[in-house]
Amino acid sequence: MLDLILKERLPVVVQGITGRTGRAHAVAMRTYGTNVVAGVGREVGNVEGIPVFLDCAAAVAATGALASVVLVPPLNVRSAVLEAIDAGIRFVVCVTEGVPIHDSLAIVRRARETGTTWIGPSTAGMGIPGRMKLGFLPDVALRAGSLAVMSKSGTLAYELCWRLSERRVGQSIWVGVGGDPVKGTRFAELLPLFAKHDATKAVLVLGEIGGSEEEDLAAQITALRFQKPVHVLLAGGSAPEGVTMGHAGAMVDGNRGTLVSKTTALREAGATVYASMDALTVGVVKQMR
Amino acid sequence: MVLLEHDAKVLALVLGLRVPPGVMAETTGSISADRLPPGPWIVKAQVPAGGRGKAGLIQPAATIEAVRSAVQTMLGATHRGHIVKGCRIEATVAGMREAYAALMIDPAAAAVRVMLSAQGGVDIESTHGVVSELVAPEAAAIADAVRRLTAKFSPSMCAAFADAFAALTRIMLECEATLVEVNPLFIGDNGSWIAGDLKLMIDENALVRRPVLAELVTARRFAYPEAALKLATGFDYVEVDAEGTIGLLTTGAGLSMMLIDELRAKGHRPFNFVDIRTGQFRGNPTRLIQVLSWIARGPKIKVVLVNVFAGITHLGEFARLFLEALEAVPDLQIPIVARLIGNGFDEARSIFANESDRVILEHDLDHAIEIVASYTVSKP
Repeated sequence: MLDLILKERLPVVVQGITGRTGRAHAVAMRTYGTNVVAGVGREVGNVEGIPVFLDCAAAVAATGALASVVLVPPLNVRSAVLEAIDAGIRFVVCVTEGVPIHDSLAIVRRARETGTTWIGPSTAGMGIPGRMKLGFLPDVALRAGSLAVMSKSGTLAYELCWRLSERRVGQSIWVGVGGDPVKGTRFAELLPLFAKHDATKAVLVLGEIGGSEEEDLAAQITALRFQKPVHVLLAGGSAPEGVTMGHAGAMVDGNRGTLVSKTTALREAGATVYASMDALTVGVVKQMR
Repeated sequence: MVLLEHDAKVLALVLGLRVPPGVMAETTGSISADRLPPGPWIVKAQVPAGGRGKAGLIQPAATIEAVRSAVQTMLGATHRGHIVKGCRIEATVAGMREAYAALMIDPAAAAVRVMLSAQGGVDIESTHGVVSELVAPEAAAIADAVRRLTAKFSPSMCAAFADAFAALTRIMLECEATLVEVNPLFIGDNGSWIAGDLKLMIDENALVRRPVLAELVTARRFAYPEAALKLATGFDYVEVDAEGTIGLLTTGAGLSMMLIDELRAKGHRPFNFVDIRTGQFRGNPTRLIQVLSWIARGPKIKVVLVNVFAGITHLGEFARLFLEALEAVPDLQIPIVARLIGNGFDEARSIFANESDRVILEHDLDHAIEIVASYTVSKP
């Protein structure tokens, strides 16, 4: 995965480019530096100079696109991602929120069978600051540096990457894994990439209550004997049990998914878990500079 | 979202799950012998959280008076942050052994976990004696797993599990559930079975294509206020503290959650959680008006904190819509601290410049929180 996305001028197709959001973000991504070579939409033509095709296979055949950003409504995500995989694309970022979990389940299973990296759904996207972004990541928070960021939340990552950027700490890579319980790429799967990524000197993890992703990450840190510093902030500690807090995955169920369970596991694995955004900012800046 | 046991059982019955006959009571006045199934009964408080038995929220009752008294005690009680608004009164199951059966989506494995045990009971969370297998989310694969997992059981137990799991599978696939858990699953010597308790977690994202579930959530919006509201409006809003003093108007689930955590840690009382999704406004102030009017109803509200990190949204447009919304909610006569950052900040600043007596604009979140805090202190 890392080899593919670090490729210079990685050619990207935007699925859903003829929609309002698709058009706006195709242009925003291109302006940032992303090599948007094609779009897939309702009719053949072009959007702001980007050629538009009716399906992924045609877009790939004509332009050699290797990665896709999916910007289609939630109930269309399943068919769009499967279409990209069938067209041979092996890196798909899906920003759409509200994808039914059983659809995500089917997509993850197909992605794993085919060796496809699927990022999302319900993510702000991913990026390599200074070079490209796939998704919504705001330019004001992107700054090239050596901190690898992985986050369930878009806005919490915007806030912290912006605060850190203001203090001259930038990112080597930024991956929003998304706030859904069933997702393409989980924290633990990114850790081996960050381990061998020379540009990455430390890792920032922005987690949330619910699920077991943070606990799985802790186990992965230990299993890999991961040496780079890991800084963590966890949101949702004061949420009531059984209530979904905005993100479908952010729900405490009995003893599962609690802040205490996650904090304990990560601390035991050697990560630094902070209690507030300010404390995290201070801690990361101190360690990085 | 977790369905209340009563609603889950009503749904599951239609899909072939056997459950003891029962009714819902939301007042003691509605309880009479002709409405109840044959006794003795078990009275179960309806809240979407576990640990009811240990909290005294599941009580046996041999007489109608005992049923009324149990319901009386339970209604209005708070359990893990939820107020009991109703009780299920159910016929008692006797003379059967307790087992356990569940289907659960395992996100890391991207598979369905089939879990079962010949012993049931309230301490199942320790998973002692539970055997499980991960399989594809398909009926045939689940049935095969159940056969393998029950291979050493008696023929009548095997038959009971096979039959019960067929019902659980229908529920999981047709309701797009993420968890279907029966604990206890009562099994008789002859292979008969019936679900003592049922925990059903469904996917809010699937409601739009599951009309039966959408109707349930809408019809019972007092039981599922957050889900019903999201279905109706398209965004998330949760009242987290009825006595809260700080109304929040924020976007982004993660940052909004973190903000509530930090306010609480500093001893403040936020009234609500909201992820208003500024990116979906499309020039329409409706969502802003809705949230401001709900905040205005908070009896102890002193101040509103707005937090928008505009990666994509234009803050100039946000500021115009926000003022329009304020006009539309004349009940809300308290200070507004608006922490805005990103796209179009300068335009937002000039728009708010004429409203400086009502809206305090701030760039730094921690500083905005300090200003908000100064308004929540009661002045002598």
